[in-house]
Amino acid sequence: MFSIYGALRRNGVLGINERNIHYINELNPRKLIRLVDDKIETKRLALAAGIPSPELYGVVANARDMRSLPDMMRHPDGFVIKPCRGSQGNGIVVIDGPLQNDWRLASGRRIRLDEIRFHINNILSGMYSLGAQPDTAMIEYRVKFDDVFSKVSFKGVPDIRIIVVEGIPVAGMVRLPTAESDGKANLHKGGLGVGLAMATGVTRTAMQHDRPVDLHPDTANPLTGIQVPYWDDILLMSSRAYDVTGLGYLGVDIVLDRDKGPMLLELNARPGISIQNANRLGLRERLRHARELAKEKKDAAGRVELGKQLYRRVDPPAPPVNEPEMVSA
Amino acid sequence: MTRSMRRAAILAFVTIAAGLSIFLIKTAYLGYPVSPGVKSTLWDFEIFLEFTGQDEPARLEVFIPANSPDRALAEEEFYNGPFGLGLSTDEATGNRKAVWTYRYPSNKKVLRYSAQTLGETAATPLPQVFRETKPEVIPFEADAVKRQAFIVWTGELRRQSADDASFAALALKKLFAPTTENDGLADEIAVLSNDLPSSVARLELARQTLQSQSIPARIANGVYLTDDTRRAETRSWLEYHLGGEDFRYFPDGEPRRFFTIWHGAAPLVATTGVGELDTQIALQSTSNAAEALAGKAGGGMDFVSTYFTFNKMPLTTQLVYKILVTIPVGITLLVFLRVFVGIQTLGTFMPVLIGIAFRETALFNGVLLFTMLIALGLALRFYLESLQLLLVPRLAVVIIFVVMAMAGITILLTGANQAIGLSISLFPIVILTMTIERMSIVWEEDSASEAIKQGAGSIAVAGLTYLAMTNSHVEYLMYNFPELLLVLMGICVLMGRYTGLRLTELWRFREFAKI
Repeated sequence: MFSIYGALRRNGVLGINERNIHYINELNPRKLIRLVDDKIETKRLALAAGIPSPELYGVVANARDMRSLPDMMRHPDGFVIKPCRGSQGNGIVVIDGPLQNDWRLASGRRIRLDEIRFHINNILSGMYSLGAQPDTAMIEYRVKFDDVFSKVSFKGVPDIRIIVVEGIPVAGMVRLPTAESDGKANLHKGGLGVGLAMATGVTRTAMQHDRPVDLHPDTANPLTGIQVPYWDDILLMSSRAYDVTGLGYLGVDIVLDRDKGPMLLELNARPGISIQNANRLGLRERLRHARELAKEKKDAAGRVELGKQLYRRVDPPAPPVNEPEMVSA
Repeated sequence: MTRSMRRAAILAFVTIAAGLSIFLIKTAYLGYPVSPGVKSTLWDFEIFLEFTGQDEPARLEVFIPANSPDRALAEEEFYNGPFGLGLSTDEATGNRKAVWTYRYPSNKKVLRYSAQTLGETAATPLPQVFRETKPEVIPFEADAVKRQAFIVWTGELRRQSADDASFAALALKKLFAPTTENDGLADEIAVLSNDLPSSVARLELARQTLQSQSIPARIANGVYLTDDTRRAETRSWLEYHLGGEDFRYFPDGEPRRFFTIWHGAAPLVATTGVGELDTQIALQSTSNAAEALAGKAGGGMDFVSTYFTFNKMPLTTQLVYKILVTIPVGITLLVFLRVFVGIQTLGTFMPVLIGIAFRETALFNGVLLFTMLIALGLALRFYLESLQLLLVPRLAVVIIFVVMAMAGITILLTGANQAIGLSISLFPIVILTMTIERMSIVWEEDSASEAIKQGAGSIAVAGLTYLAMTNSHVEYLMYNFPELLLVLMGICVLMGRYTGLRLTELWRFREFAKI
């Protein structure tokens, strides 16, 4: 047991205890955490800083707002209903578009207006929010997913998670849904975590349930060597998210839209540590280096450059891109 | 080392050092033993009266144990509040009474009597005065019907017995262990004992029956010295002297050790002008005779044994603290399991609360009950899901269901296993409901296996904390050395700064061990 402990320490594995004490407690003041727990607030901050995010069509905070619900839903390309303080993607309903007098869900099923109203009422009563606090429902633009991950996704929503320490992007992964995870990209439900070479944005390593994998379990396509498009934009967006929130240890979740490119989906003030397994790299050293580098106090572009210095020092060489035809940038 | 780390280390050092030094002073200078050792038979005894004054003259007469030369009571204390106290002793019966009086009491009032005793056993001799009493010969003289019944009853007993000894044995058998063949006298017994509450009535009839044969007999009332308790039951038994020998007959079963408070058929407390009276008799075995002596020879260290002890409090309060001071041990254990091992539980301190509830049920029954209620509750919760109720009403439905399920289990098990049925009362319903809610959310959002894993983890942690909190050494140490709370606090501060990996993370990141 002690030899395993020693090996993990040697490889720089960061534990939850250390994350909590040295990163969340030290770098994320509680009153700032509040900003990112509220998705409407996050969106407002992003908009003010020019970070693209899905357009907000409307907000339902009480029964009176419910009357203008049909207006908020008048979008032929569909929309998404989300709890404002939800976590782990619970309570999200994706609507493809109108279907005669009703609406069509992403799964193809028909949904009536009163069913939508009931769902929003559940959101308002706090069914999906942390600690069952009363919540607000938001209705926003439905992202049309870029095809780059279509060969390695089973239904659902692939997204990109970047860990940003005091404005410097230090690690990243792509989270891919599987049949087991029921179309959700949550790692503990069986979604795939695919590590990214931070210098180039090419997928490098992959894991499922904390075990290494090479092929997608449902589509059998290789998971490594995929170039994430708009990579430099993604790094810059992530770094800017630090400017608008002030959170020193931040998880930035980004989706790729076919037409509009990368969009900020949400920010996380307590990002998990499974990204280490996805990358097969410990975080401790790079987090420490990043905090050293951050003392130089640069702007977002400068911090991305600092990050690139960091990757040259601590990252293994970036893998080649093996399926150039998939790149749609 | 960062500033926050340094500060935490200083706080931990100060609290641990303070706690340990008081502990060392107590053990090294004041001679407190560090382990419970052999249990002595010294018992703290307390009568506790709580009542509401009604703005009229109040009088409370309470029997208190006789302080005779052959049975010395140590540390006798009265707590009177504003009341006047009078003590009286009845020469004939040897009963001692405390009479508390006050002109216009209002609100809640509390009176208290406490003493220490070694108790008595069946071998304790009865007093010589009692052995020599010349009893009355003809009871029920005024009531012709009862007189007649009594003559039939004693006549029949005499016919069926050979001497005084077999007469007494037969009378007690017919009164307390009737069988179908010998219940021919049931009518007489019913007539003769209908004036008094049934428990005392038969003892009273037995006394009169024996006395009619010139056998000295009396009813004794007191408590059995078996467990520490805040509400001891008063018991009654019969004492008689026959053929140069002392006898005691215990209708409730013979205890190893008991304590007589008063004699006769009168109730313990008689009041006028008092409402909502609650009488508690608390018992606590003092864990060690040496401990009672400890702290008396401290020299300049007297203050330590004066301030860092619970022994000066009322007995009922002491018994509460006895439990309360063990809770931090459970909490510390829980922190260890979370920070060093990484066990996932449903709710942060929920396992400790469940562990405290196990106190009422004991471990096996507790786990059984907990699992049954959670399983039933979850089944209901999943059904409610399909009704799409709002959150708070849904929780309310689950709470009501848990109460009903508990009632159902109690009714089912009352015949089979009394222990479960009776101990259920203090099981924390709201905690159970929140556990069910959390578990069902984990079940839905993650997976059934995750929910069962966390549920099982919670029960395991609850069981461990229960075992830690009820361990007799832990109880002894925490109760006699409350300064150890400072040590526990320091340990928790230190654990709060542990940045190493958890045991479960060694598994989670096992791939890194292969690099």
